[in-house]
Amino acid sequence: MAILDPTTAPRRSQLNQRHVSSHALFKELGSNLVVSHYGDNDSIIEEHSQAQTLAICDLSTLPRIGFKGAGAPSWVEAQKLNLPAMANTTVLQGSGSLVAKLSDQEILVLSDIFAQSKDVFHLSEQAKIYHKNYDKQVYSLPRDDSHCWLAVSGTLASEMFSKICGVDLRTHKFSHSHIAQTSVAKTNAVVIRNDLGSTPVFYVLSDISGVEFLWDCLLDAMQEYGGYAVGVSALQRLTKEH
Amino acid sequence: MKLLTCPLNGKRNISEFTYGGEYHAMPDHLTSSPRDWAEHVFFHDNVAGIVTEWWCHTASSFWFLAERNTITDEVIRTFKADEIYQQRVEFTAVASETQS
Repeated sequence: MAILDPTTAPRRSQLNQRHVSSHALFKELGSNLVVSHYGDNDSIIEEHSQAQTLAICDLSTLPRIGFKGAGAPSWVEAQKLNLPAMANTTVLQGSGSLVAKLSDQEILVLSDIFAQSKDVFHLSEQAKIYHKNYDKQVYSLPRDDSHCWLAVSGTLASEMFSKICGVDLRTHKFSHSHIAQTSVAKTNAVVIRNDLGSTPVFYVLSDISGVEFLWDCLLDAMQEYGGYAVGVSALQRLTKEH
Repeated sequence: MKLLTCPLNGKRNISEFTYGGEYHAMPDHLTSSPRDWAEHVFFHDNVAGIVTEWWCHTASSFWFLAERNTITDEVIRTFKADEIYQQRVEFTAVASETQS
């Protein structure tokens, strides 16, 4: 694998220093650099196993976008995306991207973890054209700049969350495709359950300016269960299991 | 810990909410006197009894209304603001007179 340098990438995660000091190796997904794994290539298998139990992964350099306003849901639907029927739920698109309805008037769109879906790029391009005829009904929310995107995976994840989050995230209470907008480690966060393969996965989106604090809190909380940081290659491998 | 029910997110710890002041019907900003407008913006009735208040679920930035008894601190109900506001409130500026 060629060694990729995140300093040459269009954007870096706010956690880049932590990744580099943990001997991260990066991989290119679309035009984005994401941590592939830490240490040497042998660690991918170990990280994949760890992701099934308890692990955290930084996906903050992958594309995402949001829209808010009375006209936002119908506009996103007009872009040929399927919307969830209820607020605080998600729908996986055929392209692999994930559409989350945060309220009756707020939509969040996340790329797939291979960054193969072009939905976010398409939406951001359409929004630029649409806003030339701005009618105050659809407001763009560039989530790349406002929110970090972390993934906490594994069968012990909900037990770990019970230490730092007041909402019951046990898998039989908080099912796949549901969203909790709540406080995690005293930080406002959007928690989205989006299982990969047969493994429970919780996406955590929170204020990007506080991501170092949140990352350290989550690592600290998962320490007693043996959890640690893994790269995106481990999560990608989870999608192959059923 | 006290719990409050957000109409969007359900029952949550009170620490996830921010109080936004008493709800009053907004006077017409074009016809109301400065005194009435200041009354609306700055002053509270501070009623002992059932009042309607603005609250915000800070984790989702979702503003809603709550009916609360200020004597017993019992929340009677919470509801979405679109029960009152059916459309966007526009603030149209008064055309200023040009001086020659």
